[in-house]
Amino acid sequence: MRSLRLLTALLVTAAALAGCAEDSSSVAAADYPSEDIRLLVPYTAGGPTDIAARAVGAHLEGELGRPVVVENLPGASGATAYVEMISAEPDGYTLSMTALPTAVLNYLSNDVGYTREDLAPVGVVTQVPSGIVVPADSPYQDVESLFEAARQDPQAITVGTPGATNTHAAETRRITQLYDIPLTVVPFEGNSEVQTALLGGNVSAGFANLSQDLLPAIEAGDLRVLAVGTEERLDYVDAPTFVEAGYPELVQSTTTFGVIAPAGTPEEVVATLEDALRSAGEDEAVVEALDPRYVPEEFLGSADLAALFAETEETFRGVVGD
Amino acid sequence: MGLFDGIAQGFAVALDPINLLYVFAGVLIGTVIGVLPGLGPTATIALLLPLTYTIEPATAVILLAGIYYGSMYGGTITSVLLRLPGEAASVVTTFDGYQMAKQGRAGPALGIAAVGSFVGGILSVLGLMLLAPPLADLAVSFGPPEYVALTALGILLVTYLGSGTPLKSLSMAALGLLLATMGQDPITGTTRFTFGSVALFDGLDFVAVAMGLFGVGEILHSLERTEKVQAVTKKITHIWPTRKDFKDSSGAIARGSVLGFVIGVLPGGGGVISSLASYALEKRRAKDPSRFGRGAIEGVAGPETANNASSTSAFIPLLTLGIPANVVLALIFGALLVQGVTPGPQLITEEPEIFWGVIASMVVGNVMLLALNIPLVGVFVQLLRVRAGILAAFALLVTMAGVFSVSNDSFDMWVVLVFGVIGWLMKKTGFEPGPLVLAFVLGEIMERAFRQSMLLSGGSLDIFVTRPLSGGLLAVMAAVVVLSLVMARRRRAAFRQVDPEDEFGREDGTGPVEGEPGLSAEPATGRNARHTSDSTDSDAASTPGER
Repeated sequence: MRSLRLLTALLVTAAALAGCAEDSSSVAAADYPSEDIRLLVPYTAGGPTDIAARAVGAHLEGELGRPVVVENLPGASGATAYVEMISAEPDGYTLSMTALPTAVLNYLSNDVGYTREDLAPVGVVTQVPSGIVVPADSPYQDVESLFEAARQDPQAITVGTPGATNTHAAETRRITQLYDIPLTVVPFEGNSEVQTALLGGNVSAGFANLSQDLLPAIEAGDLRVLAVGTEERLDYVDAPTFVEAGYPELVQSTTTFGVIAPAGTPEEVVATLEDALRSAGEDEAVVEALDPRYVPEEFLGSADLAALFAETEETFRGVVGD
Repeated sequence: MGLFDGIAQGFAVALDPINLLYVFAGVLIGTVIGVLPGLGPTATIALLLPLTYTIEPATAVILLAGIYYGSMYGGTITSVLLRLPGEAASVVTTFDGYQMAKQGRAGPALGIAAVGSFVGGILSVLGLMLLAPPLADLAVSFGPPEYVALTALGILLVTYLGSGTPLKSLSMAALGLLLATMGQDPITGTTRFTFGSVALFDGLDFVAVAMGLFGVGEILHSLERTEKVQAVTKKITHIWPTRKDFKDSSGAIARGSVLGFVIGVLPGGGGVISSLASYALEKRRAKDPSRFGRGAIEGVAGPETANNASSTSAFIPLLTLGIPANVVLALIFGALLVQGVTPGPQLITEEPEIFWGVIASMVVGNVMLLALNIPLVGVFVQLLRVRAGILAAFALLVTMAGVFSVSNDSFDMWVVLVFGVIGWLMKKTGFEPGPLVLAFVLGEIMERAFRQSMLLSGGSLDIFVTRPLSGGLLAVMAAVVVLSLVMARRRRAAFRQVDPEDEFGREDGTGPVEGEPGLSAEPATGRNARHTSDSTDSDAASTPGER
């Protein structure tokens, strides 16, 4: 009996030592990838980010020839997953999905244990635009009349947003800051609650992602889009851009979903991943799974995503955290 | 979509072989855990929740709903045979059911309970089909002020109608509200009570809290129980009730269906309250109330019908408003949220297969239960031979693995253990976890809605009374509070009239008090006279399975 216990102790020690040994040895970047890759998803299973991650993960697996394990680590608007990722070795075997601008707004408004400096962008997967929507029977026919009503009576216009710390709340506050249009932000939880509040006439307008869950109500005519927050018009939504309506600065509300690695990941590894991600945009099955409306026409790689991080931080630094 | 299209679509979903399998699994698990004392539907659903994340949302709810109403059937069996309620809602059944068993009428008691549950379940499903769609249409116009009023009403009712003493229930609800404030502020996004830990940014995980308080708390509590369950050896015969039994209980079943349905819809309703209310009603209506507690078949038929009816109608507020009426529904709410489905006014139109599929599955499930229960009672009773220690260890293992799988975070496992110990201590001291957990869930909805209302009104509280719906709901709340205070005073006055030193056999000194079913229904006739009315009130339902 005693010898058995001794044996167990020895085995455990050996296993622990083996673990240490493996950790300390750094795998050469040239061999990348030689192990399984973890792809963290900062949101729950079944959500849009998770679906995108699984499509991308399957594609990366085919391109790189190693299993890509998708792992959901929801919580704290993504911080749980990002903190887990940056605590891992920066060797390209632990990656994460990310959603901008939330990922930036999160560390601008709270101490969440990471900043832009801790992340190495790999590339963009999808971009989901946003827009100002009103119920079909709303008196406001265009964004100008909505804003005019707000100027007349600062209490008049309430804008429902799908969250307190996401793009839409921040972008709505920016409208007030930049153009002196008093809008009251009323944060809800998710697009569907904003939609209900709009249909029930409880808010004057909503500022939300024009994602798959909102488009049916727009196509059915229950909701009208007054303006979209992209630089150019969208071919699947019949509405002008804020730029056309005379608000050229309102182009920061698009949500960008991308892949990131921990800072310090070797450049060759990032380049390998970037190439694999680029080819995802050419694979019809992946594009179909991601929804072709949201896949950027031109691939945005590591440098583009890094620029987007910097630009987002610049834009919103003065809006949140005060 | 018309009603009939909806029903047709629902049956198409419910009769899908996979879903049929899950309904069957649900009602079978429900019956089994209903039989096993200590493991109620709340703990079971909490334990099984993580397993549902990988199946279709409709199938997941079909399974969980099956467990819920299945347990209402199963709980009856041990209440009748052993005077050991398998789950809280069957406490009342011990009063007369056990007496019937002692008189050799265990068969009819179980038979009428199964028939009553079936009738109550089916009538309630019909009510759900007819009422939920128009209610959902109305619910679209519900804004933040209405949600504030509804959630406040829910918290009030769960503390007030709960089976513990009001003060203890209220303090637990207050604790639940406080716990709900942890994490990111819903309006500004700043963090509160996170102690710098990213794990607490979203507050405590509801599933972990519920699994701790109900699951682990119950497991710990059950380990303390030393009494042995005496094996049932007598063969149960004549399960199908006689014509006279049917005649005696048909009124009780009809009233129980309606009462159960109405109570189930109320926030904070369902389960125990409906069965207690039905018992009180039957006893009050009876020509000879003294029969109650001595084996009156109405005393079994009414409550058993009511608890099953209420477990079905409790789905109405969840599926139309996105507000869970009780803790079990709060767990199902959690299951849907994890699947990416937000229950609310849009659910019926956007996810019709969930709404109608679940409803149709309830019809199927109730038929299965009737078919299972009547011939297989003897088999289920054998389950009581499983040793508590084995069951507890297995349940704990499933809990810990399950909670980790929710968000792959070991922090949640600590939350479960800490709340498990809290839940165990609460049970020992007579505090109920129900109000805490429901207030914890509703508190989050209420805070957000309250602050949204303040944004909409520009900071004026008028918004709550000037809007007809929220004004009306708040008026109902005020009425409940005033009524309860008046009743409490009358009750005290009644107590003073009788000899204060004579605490024996005074159970009918006050008479049943309307609106307070939980407090007045206690039939002390079948009990030991050592208990005063007050002490039996609180421990009868809060510690089911102990006697």
